[in-house]
Amino acid sequence: MEENAFDPDLIHAIFKQLWKRRALEREKNENLDAMDCEVGPGTSNKRNRPTSAHANALKLSCELLRIFISEAVQRAATIAEAEGSARIEATHLERILPQLLLDF
Amino acid sequence: MEGGGHGSDADREEDDSVSDHLKDRFRLSVISIAEAEAKKNGMEISEPIVTCISDLALHYTEQLAKEFELFAQHAGRKTVYTDDVILSAHRNEHLSTLLRSFCNDLKAKEPQSERKRKKVSKKEDKATASASASVIHIPDV
Repeated sequence: MEENAFDPDLIHAIFKQLWKRRALEREKNENLDAMDCEVGPGTSNKRNRPTSAHANALKLSCELLRIFISEAVQRAATIAEAEGSARIEATHLERILPQLLLDF
Repeated sequence: MEGGGHGSDADREEDDSVSDHLKDRFRLSVISIAEAEAKKNGMEISEPIVTCISDLALHYTEQLAKEFELFAQHAGRKTVYTDDVILSAHRNEHLSTLLRSFCNDLKAKEPQSERKRKKVSKKEDKATASASASVIHIPDV
């Protein structure tokens, strides 16, 4: 089970990219606000440092994503089995998708 | 290859979410997980379904990143901790208990071993101290 898991570094890289973008957006918005209010920007850089993550939090996120995928496959597999098919097809995924998205 | 964090601001704005390199790596992991899981269930899984699941998972990841940031911000932090991850699964009781136990396992594996050792050493110190005290007391009596 452990070979087929996400690499925490990969998830970290993805999160970092998303957080960096959000920090940039925030900074931009703040600069616009600052221009409107005529308040000098300068302290915004420190406050807009992108979010970072603890190592265990990343491992936990990897596990959460792994559970999400295995749950999707397992639920689709039960539907496929009930229909007597040996192959998971689009219709099976369609059937389980609403509940899956509600559960996660 | 350099799509990571070295691109200019304009580059970052161009691609909608995550760079293609990371997306591909993510997709590969999803494929290996999904196929292993299908094999475990004695099922075959068609390729478009795996692609579909990987898109779902990527979308889910983006949503998680947003959520974690908001949770950390709400707690007045700039760093995401395991509590934020567990909180993201609050709707699903079963899932959050699962994550909590996984988190406890993680904690038990690494940093607490040192703390335990320290605690044990402290206890041992006390034990030896009390023992020595009693040893001192016994000859007094």
